[in-house]
Amino acid sequence: MRRDVQAIILLLIGGATLRITLGDTYLNYVKEVMRPFLILAGGLLVLFGILGLIDVLRSARVPAGDADVEAEAAQQLDDELDGHVHGHDHSHGPRAAWFLVLPVLAIFLIAPPALGAFSAARETTNAIPDLSEAQAPPLPAGDPVPVRVSDYIGRAVWDDGLTLIGRTVEMTGFVTPDPEGGWWLSRMSMACCAADAFASRIKTVDAPDLPANTWVTITGTWTPGGGTQSADAIPLVVVESLIEVPQPRNPYE
Amino acid sequence: MTDQPATRSRYRPGSLELLALGLLILIVGQGWLVGFFDDSPALQTGATIFVAIVVQALPFLVLGVVLSGAIAAFVPASFWRKALPKNKVLAVPVAGAAGAVIPGCECASVPVANSLMSRGVTPAAALAFLLSAPAINPIVLAATFVAFAGQPEMVLARFVASLGAAVILGWLWLRFGKAQWLRIGPRGHLVGSNSWHTFRLTAAHDFLHAGGFLVVGALAAAAINVLVPPDLMRAVADNPLLSILVMAALAIVLSICSEADAFVAASFTEFSLTAKLTFMVVGPMVDLKLISLQAGTFGKSFVMRFAPATVVVTIVSSVLVGWWLLT
Repeated sequence: MRRDVQAIILLLIGGATLRITLGDTYLNYVKEVMRPFLILAGGLLVLFGILGLIDVLRSARVPAGDADVEAEAAQQLDDELDGHVHGHDHSHGPRAAWFLVLPVLAIFLIAPPALGAFSAARETTNAIPDLSEAQAPPLPAGDPVPVRVSDYIGRAVWDDGLTLIGRTVEMTGFVTPDPEGGWWLSRMSMACCAADAFASRIKTVDAPDLPANTWVTITGTWTPGGGTQSADAIPLVVVESLIEVPQPRNPYE
Repeated sequence: MTDQPATRSRYRPGSLELLALGLLILIVGQGWLVGFFDDSPALQTGATIFVAIVVQALPFLVLGVVLSGAIAAFVPASFWRKALPKNKVLAVPVAGAAGAVIPGCECASVPVANSLMSRGVTPAAALAFLLSAPAINPIVLAATFVAFAGQPEMVLARFVASLGAAVILGWLWLRFGKAQWLRIGPRGHLVGSNSWHTFRLTAAHDFLHAGGFLVVGALAAAAINVLVPPDLMRAVADNPLLSILVMAALAIVLSICSEADAFVAASFTEFSLTAKLTFMVVGPMVDLKLISLQAGTFGKSFVMRFAPATVVVTIVSSVLVGWWLLT
């Protein structure tokens, strides 16, 4: 790979990183805490790319002899880091660098969305930590009281719904069709990035049919019947009101 | 070596034109491409996971190459020889432990080990460093800490299992290794008109190289995530022995950079901690990209012996440490 192409690839991958981080797009993939590091990393790659291009332009202007020496030295470094024996074909830098074009294309052309119903439907368990040891604290005041989907599941499944009795809750999530009819109010959570995301799902009762991946805010009440004390349990919520909403700024919980 | 001047000719139509043409075609075909992805939730999910792994790993990779570039540019090579004990048996664990403070991803540590050997460091110690540096350096441990939020014991387990495997392999080489298996390549001069220039060229080069392999690993991980039915993964994950062997095999095939592998390991949510540990201990020491790098640097007869030994020792070490610290 030529040095000008190497510089352009650095610019592309650094630029793509900056592009998703300066808006909110990066929240589709990673946690918010990564933002400053992504900006720093993207900025540094862009800087390396620009300086690399300046190198190329400058070596094109110096007399051929000097440029040759510099190019040879650079090539030697390339070969050494590639583990190539000296005397190998000298026209290539790290060929693996071509692959870096793929995430750039994915970001600019496809712009993959946050994980949705497809991922949520693949899960068979609600991976909410077992709260049975620690008594769940009472819900804060409010009618309806805003609750995270995973929090609702924790209270309903691992605390037998005790803290939900008599309360109207408000939750935001997306529609994941239940193969047995109806749909789950769902939300993805991630430990680190979308690759390790897991789903939280609540079965809706008395809700109108909606297409998959529709974002909704519902108010409703807990009702027993979804099972308790098991990771396989999917708790129920009786829907009282429902409005369609745009995808939240951070689609993950 | 025969036609060097010819291959370094003035103008070479090639990568730049290819890049421009490829980008042009893709931009023109964007509508079709997006429609294609929109129609397939599986493909779309795979793309999201792929981008997520790359984006999450990127800052760690950049930090790694910045530090490895700084070491290449600002630390004199003679420093390493002075720092190591004369006694070879003792030098192995010291060199292995030195890996804990010297960042650098595995692609970079191959040429570093090569240069250490060519400057008179005993090969066994250089090999222990080669194995431990990518596995237990601070950036990798920090990445592991972030990836396994809430399970800090994973960081300790990774450190112990990796350092143990590196030192044992160093000692094995000291005891059984033969000099003629190892070809120590010549160390060319570094580039750059000054240290800063060398630093920048090394860092950029290391990034391009390691980043490329990271992308390949992220692609494979995303494909496995989407294509393999969850039931099958669960069945494999439920079998303790099988799950460890499968994770070791994945680590070897996926060839993920050690700065990023913790995030990929954590994404295999169905698997036991010991199986994930195996993934993170095996990967930085032996995988497809390292085997090809080492074969190019040290020769085939070295890799034929070293790679299988590394696989066995890393798996045994992970299982023992996992059993000790993670259960």
